[in-house]
This record gives sequence, structure tokens and C-alpha cells, in this order.
Amino acid sequence: MQLQDKYRIAILSAYALALHGFEAMLPSPMPWLRFGISNIITLTALVLFGFRTAMMITLIRVMLGSIFSGTFLGPAFILSLGGGLAGTIAMGTVFSISRNIFGPVGLSLIGALFHNAAQLFFAYLLFIQRIEAVLLISPVILLIGTLTGFANGLVADILIKNLLKKEQDSIQNVVQA
Amino acid sequence: MKEAIRNTTTADRILFLLLIIASVAGLVYTREAFSLGSDVVVEVNGRPVYTLSLDTNREIVIDGSHGRTVLEIKNSKVRMKEADCNNQQCAKQGWISRGTIVCLPNRIVVIVGSGITKDIDAITG
Repeated sequence: MQLQDKYRIAILSAYALALHGFEAMLPSPMPWLRFGISNIITLTALVLFGFRTAMMITLIRVMLGSIFSGTFLGPAFILSLGGGLAGTIAMGTVFSISRNIFGPVGLSLIGALFHNAAQLFFAYLLFIQRIEAVLLISPVILLIGTLTGFANGLVADILIKNLLKKEQDSIQNVVQA
Repeated sequence: MKEAIRNTTTADRILFLLLIIASVAGLVYTREAFSLGSDVVVEVNGRPVYTLSLDTNREIVIDGSHGRTVLEIKNSKVRMKEADCNNQQCAKQGWISRGTIVCLPNRIVVIVGSGITKDIDAITG
């Protein structure tokens, strides 16, 4: 890992953390309802700098985010970690297999889908343990996740385009989205 | 934002549509699946007389304080088939799958829902 990568990961992680914290302050009708806006940063990092950078950012965001909000190693942390890892791995896999099939919006949708699926799985395994409750809630989560994933994908798309335009020289590992 | 929407690939759009369709279908399906297994509670004069399953089709005759009424359960829906009263409000209400049917002259209340009998604090009247 080069020094430049470290700076980049640090800055992007700080952005992701800020969005993560900002999102936690937004009023939400249901405690588990989140927009997942920090995924914008993960997705941008994945497209511009590759999977390893995106993974590092996700891990740093989940760890530091839970430490700042006092939920480190608690139930919310397990859900957050599982969801974050699953979403990032899914996006990274799809991105590496099919670079030109899915744009940022499609990747964001896949990320949201796997994030929610993993969270439901861990919630079922560790806390709920009633399959009816999970089945009842999953279409709602899927619908909300699709809508927020779509919105996040659009924002990431704009961000990626603008970064490519401005920082053409300094961005390595560039893949035209 | 418009430009970003135009930038989406065909696969993006198909995926989005598929997910939306899947979640809406899931919503409809779970609603249907979970309306099953609810109870039909028949109260006469404020006392629960019958607790029936919404899943079994049947007709029962209820003796109210005015006369006899016939309650029909069919395809997870309930209706008051016949009522011995003047206004026939309950029979006109038709089929319901949730909520209540009230027959005031007969003092009959039909409640559809799950776990409803346990939550009633008090009944006046």
C-alpha cells in the first residue's frame, strides 16, 4: 500500500464517517430505517480506486462509527458490520465481474440489496428468531432499500463523473463508469 | 440529476424494476399470507360467544336479543348472511376480511382480527 493510498483512504473514511454520523442524527420513523448515504463514498471509492480501498473504508467507518455512537461490539454493531461487509463484497464482486454492465446505480442497488439481506439474516440469527417476523418485514426493507439505493447510486454517479473530470491526473486505477 | 438518470445502463434499469416488482409482490403476498390465521370473534350482549377461525368455511346461527342471525365465513371473509332486524345494516355491509360488523338491534358484534379477545379491557352496554 502506497502512502498516497493511505491518505486517500483516510480522507474518504472521514467523509463516510461524517455522512454516517449525519445520517444517525436524521429523524426516522423507524429506528432501523436508514438511507445508507455513507454507501455513496464506498461506491465511489470502489469505482475510482478499487475493491481494497472500498473495503478499508467500510471497515473503518463501521468500527469508528460504532465507537463514536457507543455501540461497539453491541447488537447494532454486528448488524452494521455484517451489512457493510456483505454490501461491499457484493458490489466489489459484481464490479470486477462485469465492469460495463452495471453503472453506479446498479451497483448501489446490489449493495443495498445485500446489505439488507445480511442485516435481516443476522437479525434473524441473533435476535428475532421468528421467521414470520422476518418474512413480514423483508418486502418493506427491500422496497425502501431499493429506493434509497437508487438515490444513492445517482449521487455516486454524479460524484464519480465530477471527480473524474476534475482529478483526472491524480486518480489511479481509473475505470470509466 | 437528469444526466445521472440518463447515464444509467439498461442493466441498472432492469435491476431497479425487478427489485421494485419483487418488493411490491412481496408486500402483497405477505399481507395475504398474514391475514390468514386470524380469528372471528362473535359477541352477543358484550360477551364473546364464539371464536372461529377465518380459514374454515362455515355458516353459524347466532341467537341475538332480537332474533336469529346467520353468519357466513367463506374464503377468509365474513358476512352477515341474514339478520332478523328492520334495518339490515349488518347484512348490507357485505363481506369483510378485517374490521367489525355490528348488528345493533341484536346486540351482536363480529370482530375479525388476530388475538383480539385478549386485549379488551371492558365492555359497557
